[in-house]
Amino acid sequence: MTNKEKYKQAFSVLHTSGRISLEEERMIVMRKKARFQAAAAAVAVCLAFTGGGSIAYAADLGGVQRKIQLWVHGDQTDADIVYNASGSYDLWYEGTDGTREELHGGGIAIEEDGTERPLTEAEIMDHLNQPTVDYREDGSIWVYYYDQKTDITDRFKDGVCYVKVSNGETTLYMTILYQGGWCTSPHKYESPDSFS
Amino acid sequence: MRLPTQELFEKYQNNLYAVAFNVCKNAEDAEDVVQDTFIQYYSFKKQFDNEQHIRAWLIRVAINKAKNMNRTFWRKNKMSLEDYMETLTFETPESGELFEAAMNLPEKYRIVIHLFYFEDYTIHEIAKILKLSEGNVKVRLSRARSLLREKLQEEWENDE
Repeated sequence: MTNKEKYKQAFSVLHTSGRISLEEERMIVMRKKARFQAAAAAVAVCLAFTGGGSIAYAADLGGVQRKIQLWVHGDQTDADIVYNASGSYDLWYEGTDGTREELHGGGIAIEEDGTERPLTEAEIMDHLNQPTVDYREDGSIWVYYYDQKTDITDRFKDGVCYVKVSNGETTLYMTILYQGGWCTSPHKYESPDSFS
Repeated sequence: MRLPTQELFEKYQNNLYAVAFNVCKNAEDAEDVVQDTFIQYYSFKKQFDNEQHIRAWLIRVAINKAKNMNRTFWRKNKMSLEDYMETLTFETPESGELFEAAMNLPEKYRIVIHLFYFEDYTIHEIAKILKLSEGNVKVRLSRARSLLREKLQEEWENDE
């Protein structure tokens, strides 16, 4: 036997268990998950607001700290941001009532060949500059994009609202599901089925 | 061109499993890699030149995903290679020895050896899949062969 034949004989014992499912329904669900991950460059995952608390740990991470201009609910404010090597960020700014607000998030981008990498500073800034949807305590619903504030409370039809926002340079088409997330595209309104 | 995911799955699932296992040394992780690789194929709608192009892409993605899996902090409780080997039925004791010797090579040698001896890729093709220079592949292949020869002695012929 040649080395090649011996090697093939030895490794031919490896077989999948038969538990892998490639059913269409499951693939669609997983595709959405994959798409979400693939879009992480534009939509950083794991975004969470926290209030108060200590911020000392961020400096210990050794990330790159910068001052940026951030749009918060239609108002521009100064913010300190630390970009960590892992693709995460920690951000602080002064809220309208003078309290110190914190914002933490981050994520990874998955390249087409399956490699993962941390988000870059530019990608994190892109994410922070994306439109946001705010459900207020009074029941109204607002979209914020740079200095724009749009009341969309009465614009939902069958649980879906379509809004076009622009900052003068970039126009985005938003498809918003009531209490169910949203999707933006520079080209067209995405179908709710494509991301829900 | 593209081929149906199911057709590719039937044809290449065990090849991808073997290459993923080669990197992960863990059956569950390798199965996750196989599933994720086909989902990536299904999701990205990438166009290919021919079936060999698809096969090389699937293998490259599986290797990358398996490497990512090794770097992930949240890894599954692993069954040791020795325990897993006890669940396998080798045709001959020599096959089991070769399997163990190959799996105990450093990762960078394992992948090259596997692509050469199991997947029948040339040095040029391996270099393209792993994004390495041909010289680098040759060196890795040569060192891996020497290590196998050292371990297996007459059971591994000098085929350089």
